Amino acid sequence: MAAVTLKGLTKKFGEAAAVDRLDLDIGDGEFVSLLGPSGCGKTTTLRLLAGFLQPDGGEIRVDQKVVSSASVLIPPERRNMSMIFQSYAVWPHMTVFQNVAYGLKLKKLPGGEIAKKVERMLRLVRLEALAARYPGELSGGQQQRVALARALVVEPQILLLDEPLSNLDANLREEMRFEIRRLHEEFRITTVYVTHDQAEAMVTSDRIAVMHQGRIVQLGAPEEIFDRPRTRFVAEFIGKTNILRGKLENGRSVALGDGLKLQVVAADNLAPGKEVFVCLRPHSVRLTPSAEEAEAGRAKGMNLFDGVVQRRVYFGDANDYIVELPAQRLNLRVVAPPTQRYEAGQKIFALADPQQCVLVGEE
Amino acid sequence: MKHLVAIVLVALAALSTSSSHAQDAAMVEAARKEGKVVWYTSLAIPSSTALAHYFMNKYKGIEVIVNRNGSQRVLQIVMSEAGASIKNVDVIHTSDAGHFVLLKGKGLLAQYSPKAAEVFPAGFKDPAGYFYGMRATLSAIAYNPRVINEKDAPKTWKDVLDPKWRGKEVTAHPGYSGIIMTHVLALVKQYGWEYFQELAKNKLHIVQSANDPAQVVASGERPLGVNGAEYFYYKTMKQGNPIKIVYPKEGVPLVVSPTAIAKDAPHPNAARLFTEFILSKENQQILADKEGLYTGHPEVTYPKDKPMLKDLKLWPVDAEELEKRNAELKKRFTEFFGA
Amino acid sequence: MSIPGTRVAEWVAEARGLGFKRFDPTLPVWIAAALFVIFLMLLPLGAIFTTSAYTEKGLSLGNYVEVFTDPAYLKAIWNSLIISFWVGVIAVAVGSLLGWLVTRTDLPFKRAVRALVMASFVTPPFLGAFAWMLLAGPNAGLLNNWYRSAFGSETALVNIFTIEGLIFVMALYSFPYVFSMIANVCELISSDLEDAANILGANKWKIALTITLPLTAPALIGGFIVAFLHSLSLFGAPAILGLPAGIHTITTQIWAFFQYPPRLDLAAAFSVPLLIATVGLIALQKKLLGRRGYSTVGGKGGQKRLLKLGYLRWPAFLLVAAILSLSVFLPYGILLKAALSKAWAMPLTADNFTLGNFSFTFFEYSDTRNAIVNTFKLGILTATAGTLLATLLAYITNRQLLRGARYLSFFVLAPLVIPGIVLAVGLFIAYTRPPIVLYGTIWIMFVAFLTKEMPIGFSQTESTFKTIHPELEDATRIIGANRLRALKDVTVPLARSGLIAAWSFIFIGVIRELSASILLFTPSSKVVSVVIFDLKEEGQIGAIAVLGILLLAVSFLIILSVQWLAGREFFAGSRG
Repeated sequence: MAAVTLKGLTKKFGEAAAVDRLDLDIGDGEFVSLLGPSGCGKTTTLRLLAGFLQPDGGEIRVDQKVVSSASVLIPPERRNMSMIFQSYAVWPHMTVFQNVAYGLKLKKLPGGEIAKKVERMLRLVRLEALAARYPGELSGGQQQRVALARALVVEPQILLLDEPLSNLDANLREEMRFEIRRLHEEFRITTVYVTHDQAEAMVTSDRIAVMHQGRIVQLGAPEEIFDRPRTRFVAEFIGKTNILRGKLENGRSVALGDGLKLQVVAADNLAPGKEVFVCLRPHSVRLTPSAEEAEAGRAKGMNLFDGVVQRRVYFGDANDYIVELPAQRLNLRVVAPPTQRYEAGQKIFALADPQQCVLVGEE
Repeated sequence: MKHLVAIVLVALAALSTSSSHAQDAAMVEAARKEGKVVWYTSLAIPSSTALAHYFMNKYKGIEVIVNRNGSQRVLQIVMSEAGASIKNVDVIHTSDAGHFVLLKGKGLLAQYSPKAAEVFPAGFKDPAGYFYGMRATLSAIAYNPRVINEKDAPKTWKDVLDPKWRGKEVTAHPGYSGIIMTHVLALVKQYGWEYFQELAKNKLHIVQSANDPAQVVASGERPLGVNGAEYFYYKTMKQGNPIKIVYPKEGVPLVVSPTAIAKDAPHPNAARLFTEFILSKENQQILADKEGLYTGHPEVTYPKDKPMLKDLKLWPVDAEELEKRNAELKKRFTEFFGA
Repeated sequence: MSIPGTRVAEWVAEARGLGFKRFDPTLPVWIAAALFVIFLMLLPLGAIFTTSAYTEKGLSLGNYVEVFTDPAYLKAIWNSLIISFWVGVIAVAVGSLLGWLVTRTDLPFKRAVRALVMASFVTPPFLGAFAWMLLAGPNAGLLNNWYRSAFGSETALVNIFTIEGLIFVMALYSFPYVFSMIANVCELISSDLEDAANILGANKWKIALTITLPLTAPALIGGFIVAFLHSLSLFGAPAILGLPAGIHTITTQIWAFFQYPPRLDLAAAFSVPLLIATVGLIALQKKLLGRRGYSTVGGKGGQKRLLKLGYLRWPAFLLVAAILSLSVFLPYGILLKAALSKAWAMPLTADNFTLGNFSFTFFEYSDTRNAIVNTFKLGILTATAGTLLATLLAYITNRQLLRGARYLSFFVLAPLVIPGIVLAVGLFIAYTRPPIVLYGTIWIMFVAFLTKEMPIGFSQTESTFKTIHPELEDATRIIGANRLRALKDVTVPLARSGLIAAWSFIFIGVIRELSASILLFTPSSKVVSVVIFDLKEEGQIGAIAVLGILLLAVSFLIILSVQWLAGREFFAGSRG
């Protein structure tokens, strides 16, 4: 277990900076995800952590000791870390047992001890029956579990995962997400997890670092990232969202135009008159055809929209609506329970709690 | 009366030459119609192509297709084609007299008496009229004077057995060359197989053709050739290459290279015309002047820097014996020399 | 991906739709394929087996006894085995080192290195042997002369007319096969496999030993087998460098059996073990490479990073350059010199300079002129026929248009197991006598070349069609084009570069073929390689050099044109 500090970390490829003065503090035993679209620098950051790349600027410390900087580079084999790859990277010429035992053999542990540890780990990932098989005979999910076992059995200080689930199908991915979180809670190894899939990040992480163009744009617990995105980019990257544009009137009110005013969560240091964006999640909007309910909601302080159902898409577990607000010439996306069925052309009221209307920065 | 006889004789002579002229013209015409003559020969490439060009210059319109290979290979090809009923070759010429005994025996040769050969001595003619000696050469010793000086150079056949020549000698192979086949038979008859057994101890470089040693000696790769076609050594020397030829006084194998016309020659007239040409005094003189060869034609003169045949002790070899012992000679040579 | 059986059903339905009620359209193709296999392979092979088993006393093993008890013949077999073994070892060492350096490290000038390795591949081994004869003959060889004058020594530095010399030259022209196989495998190994070991605690050397080496091991063994078999079947190099030293190999001995009087029965008996050994080794190789399918294990997204050689970078390059000068620069240089000199061993002064060799070869000596014409005729004929056949067969097997299409591809590739000279023995025995006499014509050579070279064309067209998804055709047909139209508008244009590559592989293979031609030629059907061999026995060095340069120039011209036309790198993608 170890704490990791990244300070001013920079890596350039040619002129472009893939990682740009990145700062991050990871606590001992913490699970942090680096989340972002491809090209944002998350994999480069991970490889810098592993020691496969040397930074051009800044430094990486593990428990206060500098392991990477522009002048220092402790090679990967001496960092006491483990890594899991998108391509699984299980060695096809070794059995499952030999794969998992490899790191322990390098540590020159006695054979009996190795066998014990390997068998225990295989039981943990539920592969004990396949110990003598070759990777070529295993499915993708099984291969990835071999990789997990191999990485964990050496009891590393730090565990690095590089999009480990991208090659698995949807059901397997879901299962493995929980598995990874479960193993983390069992072993409490400091973990850095790179992914572009926000569901993965949400399920597994203590904290998520959303990355964009080589920098961290928001760092926080999953709920915070989801409920209180700080920028438009984060809001749109994490989950579906509506972005409404308007002018800030005072601390809590935004004029959307044509008379509609939106009550929003307090925005601390923004000046009135400024143009702002409001993030409103489709799940947070409640639809009702009843004018009384709408009135009752408004009386309680909710934001109320007058609209017409434009389109309904049925997903089985939800209904996805586009509601047109003719007065503002805006479209609102709303996700409603499957029992709330409204047809296109129907007049409808939409209610939104101001606590769910969040001001977000430009980018 | 004498005058009358003389006139009649002259007239007869005139008639015969003019009729022979007429005959000639007819043959040339027929040859031209055929358009080409296919020649399988073991005469060295520069010499055979030169000869072909002389012919083609003289008789425009008749192409000579030269297929040159070692004597043993020529025979092999002739036999293979005959076995497959392939009628390709017109004129056959190698340096292994034994071949022609064999071919005659198998009925693969045509009988033809070229006028030009009428003056040839007995050793250059098959009495039954199937083949004639087109050229003659010797198998001789040669060395590179830049590497070996005259004092140390071998003078006799036995001299080359000296272990001081180990790694410095080259030999051609009777499995390829008719000249060397003749050479081996001649030396076996003189000194027995022990000669070659002893020679093999000197670890010779083996080449195939009797013409190849000239290049090997001249380049210095192996400065001493223990056998080889004398005419080719001579030619190479005249071109300015460092070669000196030794004609051992105890005797030199004489190789007469016969020529014959194939029985099923596809271009018989061209074949006959070509044969007349190569046996004619004109051509035989060219062979002597330009190609370093000896010939059977009594009127041919030779370059001054070549020994006359009559000044050398010659070891001729019987054609029948060559044919009979062909396989044995090849096998035992290969036994001693490896390949 | 459609199920194999449905395509057959489709095709049959189509044929029925065209009015062929009870006609199975797969039948003519099977008949043609069967005829092909019978005439090109089974007849010659059958001829060999029967001829080897008959002596004057009728059916007996007498020939085998004679061949395997005679010490001279046994020595030839032993020589072949020793030579091929060492050639295999050296070819693997050199080929894999170069393959690894080019694909996995930051070696400088990689494109040039690949091009030069390809030049080594294209050089006919007998031409390389000939050039090395000029370079390293113990007394006149240029390298030895230089050594003697530089160091004042009496002896030679190297003698190429030895078994070691023969092994050296044959390895120089066998290693490109191994290079290609190793390079292909190395490209497929993702760096993740090495990184995973790295982070678990393995340093550079441990990784190479426990990860990289085992992963490439099957390819190394496969490469050894290929190099071994290749050198086993070579004729020219052993004839040029071995015979002058009295060294016979299996191939030169078979050739010797054809000298007059020919012993076809012994030649056949000698060929049979060679054939069996080849079949056995190729089966072994397939088994090795098929197991554990290394390239297909793992998910997508593996990286390929290059290993930094650091201070070893330039020494490694110098080593590579040295190897390539042995196979390319030195031999090509001496060929050029010999072509332009009157006396090849003398320095190339103004006095020694001549263009006479060129005029002799192209204008004066009819043998060479005819041979050049024959070679090009045969090359173009074989390449065109071979490509058409290979395309048709690859299309059929790939689209599984016939029942049991897999077996068809096995038959097409089968000739690869027959060494060239053995094939020639069979063809000679089968077609020199009635009822079918092909001997003496250009057609027996055509048959030999087609049989021998078509597998290479087929493997090229097969892999080409693998990359063209059948759904591309289906998309065209669903819009309204019929199968032929879809072929013309979609498949053929897409396959174009692969077909051109196939054509040129076959063409180049034909023009440099010697081990079969040397047995099957007659004076009217000589080809350039045979003429080179003839001229060598005559010591006509200049003419040989000219012909050799002609062969190389044509080969390179073709390759460059193909790369320009088809826009692809040779050695990129599947080969060999």
